Amino acid sequence: MAQGRELKGRIKSIEGTRKITRSMEMVATSKLKRAQDRVVAARPYARALEAVIADLYSPELAERFPLLRQPEHGAQDDLPKSGSRAAVILLTSNQGLAGAFNSNLIKEARSLLARLTAGGVQTEIHVVGRKGTGFFRYVGTPVATSRVDIGDKPLAEHGSQLVDDLMTDFIDKKLDAVYVVYAKYNSPLSTPPVAERVLPVTPPVREGPVRDYLLFPNAEQILTVLLPLYVRNAVYRALVETVAGEQGARRTAMKAATDNAGDILNDLRRTYNRARQAQITQEIAEIVGGAEALSG
Amino acid sequence: MLKVQVISPEKVLFEGDATSVVAPAFDGELGILTGHAPMITALGTGTLRVEGGAGNQRFNIAGGFLQVVDDQVRVVTEQATAV
Repeated sequence: MAQGRELKGRIKSIEGTRKITRSMEMVATSKLKRAQDRVVAARPYARALEAVIADLYSPELAERFPLLRQPEHGAQDDLPKSGSRAAVILLTSNQGLAGAFNSNLIKEARSLLARLTAGGVQTEIHVVGRKGTGFFRYVGTPVATSRVDIGDKPLAEHGSQLVDDLMTDFIDKKLDAVYVVYAKYNSPLSTPPVAERVLPVTPPVREGPVRDYLLFPNAEQILTVLLPLYVRNAVYRALVETVAGEQGARRTAMKAATDNAGDILNDLRRTYNRARQAQITQEIAEIVGGAEALSG
Repeated sequence: MLKVQVISPEKVLFEGDATSVVAPAFDGELGILTGHAPMITALGTGTLRVEGGAGNQRFNIAGGFLQVVDDQVRVVTEQATAV
């Protein structure tokens, strides 16, 4: 029963794989929970900042803030004009086994870079995460900076570390636009890659009635302080959402793998049992045949 | 009673009632009691004190802003740690 032994080996190995994928699914589920909490906890700050900036912002003030300096548009409306410089920050994860999560992010970043380059814009790319770094090293595209130390629990500081230098360059007119490519966390099953422009700042829209605030020292000074916070927060939020997206994607991928392993096991067990039954039937037939030959 | 929120980028550190708030504004300490006019002010570095309600709370904060509307006080700061 050579085929039987072979089948038994495969069944054992797939059972092992299923155990691994199932525990990875469970680890991702618990990490997802915590990452999700962080996404939710980050919202009040973003909302409060947005509301106040919207209250204070007025188009007359815009010209006085370097961070609001809108680029001259190129051929395509949403891209800076030819000859300008743009930076792209790509967020990826440090670990794989998350389905197409990282390749989708990389694809989004490459298509943005291609569109910018086609519009005559000089680009530089800053990569976060082992997966993105590895990809650009593999294709031989030079990256401006890369870091792999952020991990599962991004802090607000990480956001400022990533974007502060770019903000300085933007103010000094060495850069004309900064984009962040990250995974937007809609739900554990929907984490689409998106490219968001963080610089120049798109002023948030005011909701509700205009309030007459006492302002200390004045609107201009407060905005000077708050606009950098707003930019840093956009990057921080991208970081937390990407982490949550990664865990969601990994959970989905590992659940699919576990289910597939189950299907394959069912098929293999059926084949194995059929082979075993066939062998027993054959042995009985042989014994009966032998006995008949003796008595005959 | 004032409704007070202390918010950092990572989370809401404090949410609750208070009788007064003393915050380190950019140009010195600033006290808020109920019935304050709507105000937005830039913050400096120092200790934020939230008094009354669920006991006194202290936070070390740096930067950000404080907003008062209708007896709701919102302290939004980039760095905040409870003391």
